[in-house]
Amino acid sequence: MSTDHDMLDVTVQRGSADHVHHDRFQVPARDNQTVLDVVTWIQQMADPSLSYRYACRVGMCGSCAMMVNGVPRWTCRTHVKKVTVNGKLSLAPLRNLPVIKDLAADMDPFFDKWVAAEARHHPTRGRLEEFDPIKPDARDRVEANLGIECINCGICYAACDTVAGNPDYLGPAALQRAWTLLNDSRDGDRPGILSAVSGKGGCHNCHSMGSCAQYCPNGLNPMRAIAGLKRETVKAALRGKRDA
Amino acid sequence: MTHIDRHDTDILIIGTGGAGLFAALHAQQSAPEGTRITIAVKGLIGKCGCTRMVQGGYNVALGNGDTVERHFMDTIRGGKWLPNQDMAWKLCEQAVVRIHELENEIGCFFDRNPDGTLHQKAFAGQTADRTVHKGDLTGIEIISRLMEQVLARPVDKLQEHRAIGLIPTRDGSALAGVLFIDMRTGGFRLVRAKTVLMATGGGPTMYKYNTPSGDKTMDGLAMALRAGLDLRDMEMVQFHPTGLLAGDHTRMTGTVLEEGLRGAGGQLLNGAENRFMFDYDPKGERATRDVVSRAIYAEMRKNNTSANGGVFISMAHLGPDTVRAKFPGMVKRCADSGFDLAGGLVEVVPTAHYFMGGVVVDADTRTAMEGLYVAGEDAGGAHGSNRLGGNGVANSTVYGGVAGDVMGADIRAMGTLRDPCPEVLQAEIERALHPLSRQPAPVHPLRAALQEAMWDDVGVMRTATGLERGLSRVAEISDALMDVGVAGDNLAFNLTWHDWLNLRSLCDVSEAITLAGLARENSRGAHYREDFPDEGDLDASYYTVITQTGRDLSVRRDPVQFTIIRPGETILPESEPETLVAAQ
Repeated sequence: MSTDHDMLDVTVQRGSADHVHHDRFQVPARDNQTVLDVVTWIQQMADPSLSYRYACRVGMCGSCAMMVNGVPRWTCRTHVKKVTVNGKLSLAPLRNLPVIKDLAADMDPFFDKWVAAEARHHPTRGRLEEFDPIKPDARDRVEANLGIECINCGICYAACDTVAGNPDYLGPAALQRAWTLLNDSRDGDRPGILSAVSGKGGCHNCHSMGSCAQYCPNGLNPMRAIAGLKRETVKAALRGKRDA
Repeated sequence: MTHIDRHDTDILIIGTGGAGLFAALHAQQSAPEGTRITIAVKGLIGKCGCTRMVQGGYNVALGNGDTVERHFMDTIRGGKWLPNQDMAWKLCEQAVVRIHELENEIGCFFDRNPDGTLHQKAFAGQTADRTVHKGDLTGIEIISRLMEQVLARPVDKLQEHRAIGLIPTRDGSALAGVLFIDMRTGGFRLVRAKTVLMATGGGPTMYKYNTPSGDKTMDGLAMALRAGLDLRDMEMVQFHPTGLLAGDHTRMTGTVLEEGLRGAGGQLLNGAENRFMFDYDPKGERATRDVVSRAIYAEMRKNNTSANGGVFISMAHLGPDTVRAKFPGMVKRCADSGFDLAGGLVEVVPTAHYFMGGVVVDADTRTAMEGLYVAGEDAGGAHGSNRLGGNGVANSTVYGGVAGDVMGADIRAMGTLRDPCPEVLQAEIERALHPLSRQPAPVHPLRAALQEAMWDDVGVMRTATGLERGLSRVAEISDALMDVGVAGDNLAFNLTWHDWLNLRSLCDVSEAITLAGLARENSRGAHYREDFPDEGDLDASYYTVITQTGRDLSVRRDPVQFTIIRPGETILPESEPETLVAAQ
């Protein structure tokens, strides 16, 4: 028989938008065990109806992100020992997104905002032209590189209180991508990006509370990127007035 | 009568890895205006699948002495003369265009030299510094940039849609559409299309230790088998020598610890903490993937193992700070999982990584079935018996783009959508619903049993006796699965139903792998037969072809067509040095 201390007491949010309830499971604690392993154990051994999402298992895709004891995390890279409180774990779907079922959130709003922020490369060269010979220590390239390791997992989006209060806000990840593009000397639509991030749901909604930077599993700082966007959009607006 | 939602489109793409996303972009560029394009994927767009997990990089000859010819020769030699040479040639030739497209049009930014030119490094088995990369997270850069391009385009997106059957026309002459389960609702959806690209990715997850993304279960090849298509090189499963070993209960087990660790001087130690690689190969830990995998496997068979039954990788002698500086991603990943890669010992085991086999296609991605195209890891032929590191993502992106171009051109000559054969459609629905009418029981133990069987008997080292035993073990598990039920009261996001369907696919493809392994009575590349350790007559090289008729699989050997070069010859000028890579 197991004693209490080698069991984890896990509370899981179940159901979808209209009917949310919570189930409790006793899960055997192991030496090498991530939160994803706990979720997997519940589905395989205790309740086959549990829904969740995962893919790569190694922190490259971000599919498995969810709320762990109230904090957004990649479950595949979160060791249970790091997050349990008195042997307790509480799991819920990623905040600020609609729930599909149980622990699986609908990521569509997150990616719709990615598109709305013009967060994609606007080419200035074609496939039959040479590469742009950009030196790795060029100033704008160094700035662009700061945000390049984003895997669009949605952790910052779930952590952000501004998103929670304003459903139109584009959110930290999409804005950070826009800032990266703005610093990419190869991009051909600087005005389009600035316009996309300065509108109603744009960068000026950010209150610099910093949850995005605090929780990013890759140690990125979207708040800093958004500050950059604020500067550039203001400058562009002033230029616009002057030229008018 | 089961309800089926219907969706009509002109071009359907299944999968959103490098192949699927490139196909969507190219189809849009090449198809007539007004063409409807739909992309369907088992997970989220760009998030599931394996292209995103590419660490090393992208092989492409960009000058400095390197040539398409040299890349081609390395690919043919690496594949031990089994590749379809026309496919290998197109891979090497078009990679040059595709890498420029990735940088200039898609917006990827690859690592640079100080002068602004692209940095390239040499992977094992290459005779030039050829691999373009973005640190050791190349796949994330490629897929994130492709994903945002596709998301912004007017393409119909069916996410968390699992393909379960290729539905031909009544006379079987062409593909009419593909049957899906909308995983979010649990309902069926039939998508009719004039052309369909299957790019679901291979992913040999029927082995106890495996590296691919968790969603990968060879569904594409299982569908292709049922559709009666020829599948080639099905015995060719590439094992990576150093998968993390952390116990059966964790999904961390099997995930790759990168090749560069050994290249940098990492040592492999057996259970007694003694180095052993020099007992097997004069290159020690720096020997190629297949050699190291077999050596580790041999130590495991001798029970010279660590606590969990593997061996150790040790980096500490290089200085923990050096290791942390050189491999920050790997060190952090291990630390998150509770292991000290920089200063301690980490248990590792060979792990099934990539599947060279796949559907027989031509160099334009066309198959024997009108309307069906296949690209990426689902397609066989480009790699032969072994894939060079860095050729995987080159292959998927090159041929995904080719498929988009070809489909966009082919639909111009295609009239209306085809009518699906109602009997096949009904059979596929019944097949998927089968477990819902049986007494619910756990699926997972059977998956574990299959993975044990394939690891033991159809794994790193093979014999006729073992393969025969594997065949009967797979058959037993396959039969047992048909008696395992799944509770069907709520089919929305019902992972256990999909676990069942996943295992169904894996059992079917496992049988094909085992039969092909029996049919190849020599040792080439990833396939090693202890009872036939020689490579055989290169001039008489054959590739295996598996075809399903009814419920029966048949296997044959087709001669390799040396359309460009014969064994022993080279297309490089005589004055060319053997390798351009400086000795380490």
